[in-house]
Amino acid sequence: MATVRGCNIPEDRYYWVEKHAWALPMDDGAVKIGITDVAQNLAKGIVNATPKDAGRTVQKGKSAGTLESGKWVGPVTSPVTGEIVEVNEAMKAKPSLINTDPYGEGWFVKVKPTDWAGESASLLTGEAAVAAYQKFMEEQNISFE
Amino acid sequence: MSKKIRLLYMEGVSPLRSQTVYHAVGYAMKEGTPNTIIMVSPNGPYVSIGYHQDIQKEVDLDYCERHNLPVYRREVGGGAVFLDNGQLFTQWIFHKEDLPATLEERFKLYIDPLVATYQELGIPANHRPINDVHVNGKKIGGTGAAQMGIAEILVGSLMYTFDKKTMSQVLKVPSEKMRDKIFESLEAYMTTMSEQLGSTPDRAMVKDLYMKKVSEALGMEVYEGEWTAEEEAMAKEIDARFTSDEWLYQKGQLHQQGVKIHQDVHIVEAAFKAQGGLIRIIARLREGRIDDVTISGDFTLLPVFALGALEQSLRGVAATPENLKSKIEEAYYRLNIQSPGVTPTDFTTAIMNAVTPPQAA
Repeated sequence: MATVRGCNIPEDRYYWVEKHAWALPMDDGAVKIGITDVAQNLAKGIVNATPKDAGRTVQKGKSAGTLESGKWVGPVTSPVTGEIVEVNEAMKAKPSLINTDPYGEGWFVKVKPTDWAGESASLLTGEAAVAAYQKFMEEQNISFE
Repeated sequence: MSKKIRLLYMEGVSPLRSQTVYHAVGYAMKEGTPNTIIMVSPNGPYVSIGYHQDIQKEVDLDYCERHNLPVYRREVGGGAVFLDNGQLFTQWIFHKEDLPATLEERFKLYIDPLVATYQELGIPANHRPINDVHVNGKKIGGTGAAQMGIAEILVGSLMYTFDKKTMSQVLKVPSEKMRDKIFESLEAYMTTMSEQLGSTPDRAMVKDLYMKKVSEALGMEVYEGEWTAEEEAMAKEIDARFTSDEWLYQKGQLHQQGVKIHQDVHIVEAAFKAQGGLIRIIARLREGRIDDVTISGDFTLLPVFALGALEQSLRGVAATPENLKSKIEEAYYRLNIQSPGVTPTDFTTAIMNAVTPPQAA
């Protein structure tokens, strides 16, 4: 896993860097989404997470739910369009999982995408994602080292 | 720098609008919308609750109803707060790229002009990171941050006055003793311009001063502007949402132990059933130490004056089990305390239950 300016950026995810969102296609065709290590570091200790309910539709670039940290409230931007098929109940019950494991136990929702092939083309993955995140963090003067 | 900041000055709007205006400008923000600062004051009192709070758990709704206090849920985090015309809210609605990425720097940028305004008025305010403004250890207004649509929002206030009594009344608390402790702590740890200066400064002067300080801090011109028809339409939409029961009574999960007075001061409470009776604790913690503690319950403790002496002896003690137990044992020895069925360890456990509540599995 790559580390950029103190943040983990696993190469297997698909990123929307400016929105600090990641997506990971699953074997069943659904896509897990969540916020990046950079985002959780910026937001700090998450005290509440309210994903939209399963069955709701989300649009790429729109909110899939809300997070509240001790200092900030904001949306989790969905990197894909589709129907929410599962909400991470463990994360909802313990929102700090987003801080401790943003790519693992802290995933946000699973979405059944309407056009993963099309939409994923505008997301970045692998080395390209790591390089883009590095550039973005430098430009924004973000570092957690 | 060529960018200018639009100022919307809205003294005396309805309580509802004093909340919905910044949401409206945030959600209506487009690429070409100027960065905007709203200075707004409500024309009446109300209660504002945090985004994820459960109104029924946090607010004394009977009290609010009896006193005609509306309650509105904001899309900014934190706790319930009583607000009225004594505060001038300073709400920044900015493009993300025009603010620092980290919250520490963002709050510093936001708080610097507030501090500079207070200082020019002769109030020795300072920024207590991350997001408090203090005057000699007392808080003068809180701040918060949120993202709405493409806008990044920062909110806070210039505090002319603050009704501490009503603030302590609107919260739902487990006991009246706790309520008294909240009021007492607000008196001890919150301040206002009026308290600091002995009178309330002229509001137009404060507005101009703040505009000047913002302009200096950001290196940008601040001009008084109008809000757009689109923002007005958005505000009407948000007015409707904020007054709907569905929005107001949505079940929030955020329930934090105790009441935060400011960054370094919290009031906590707990009970512990010892063999000799129930021990109730209400404690005020300051920077990890017991600032003040009230011990009550149905246990027997002799001599009669010893309970007060025990409370006194705990003031300033670091809130760790070892320190507390040692202090309590010392008081037991010094005052020859007798408490059938209740031991120093029980008192320590009761206080620690308040300081760090036992976690559910």
